[in-house]
Amino acid sequence: MSNLFALFITAMVINNVVLTKFLGMCPLLGVSRKASSAIGMGTAVIFVIFGSSVFTYLLYYQILVPLKLEYMDLITFILVIAAFVQFVEMVLKKYSMGLYKALGIYLPLITTNCVVLYVTLVNIIEKFNFIEMCVYSIAVPAGFMLILYIFSTIRERLDTADVPVYFKGNPIALIVAALMAAIFTAFAGLV
Amino acid sequence: MLPALLYLAVLGGLYALVYYLNHKTPVPEGCEEIIAACGSCTTTICGAHPSQQVKEIKNV
Repeated sequence: MSNLFALFITAMVINNVVLTKFLGMCPLLGVSRKASSAIGMGTAVIFVIFGSSVFTYLLYYQILVPLKLEYMDLITFILVIAAFVQFVEMVLKKYSMGLYKALGIYLPLITTNCVVLYVTLVNIIEKFNFIEMCVYSIAVPAGFMLILYIFSTIRERLDTADVPVYFKGNPIALIVAALMAAIFTAFAGLV
Repeated sequence: MLPALLYLAVLGGLYALVYYLNHKTPVPEGCEEIIAACGSCTTTICGAHPSQQVKEIKNV
């Protein structure tokens, strides 16, 4: 149990995928102008990463390994993630207008989010068991959402701040991201 | 080799089917105008880039 907790904290905070691996920078800069957008995007990312991780994990161990097709893992995962996002979007359109309004617009952005592919590949490379895979697949997107939310609150304040004209927009956002990465290294001794 | 090709065909077919079904499903009323406001990069071929959304509106 403590191992799972350590895995969760490590994946979410210490080895945060955005600040240590620099993955998912596109949505971090693109959908972090408002805190509400950040929460919507973060929730959609948690849902898609968890769902696609379970699918790819089962597909890998139930089909690819018995058929000795392990070398096809990358193309399999890309297609499964893309198909899963399309499927979720279709279900939301058909059955849940409220959820579609809140999350649907972020789903096409998630297809190109490299964090999703990263998590599915790490689940296999690290040889996680099913429970560990579930914990890791929730912790990584939760860390992504945490950073996205913190980043969006800072950017909301930056909009009204007196920033030099050459630093307005993405340059100051990247400087903030670098400072956040430096701050988060302080969590290194936590677990 | 054959199992790999068959597997790839099944997977590709599944994706094509889901993609087709998704695009056939109508967008709920009141959600037609909702777009993700992403303007982080200059990759104009990305579907979320504002220039793509302008094109879509023109086509409609």
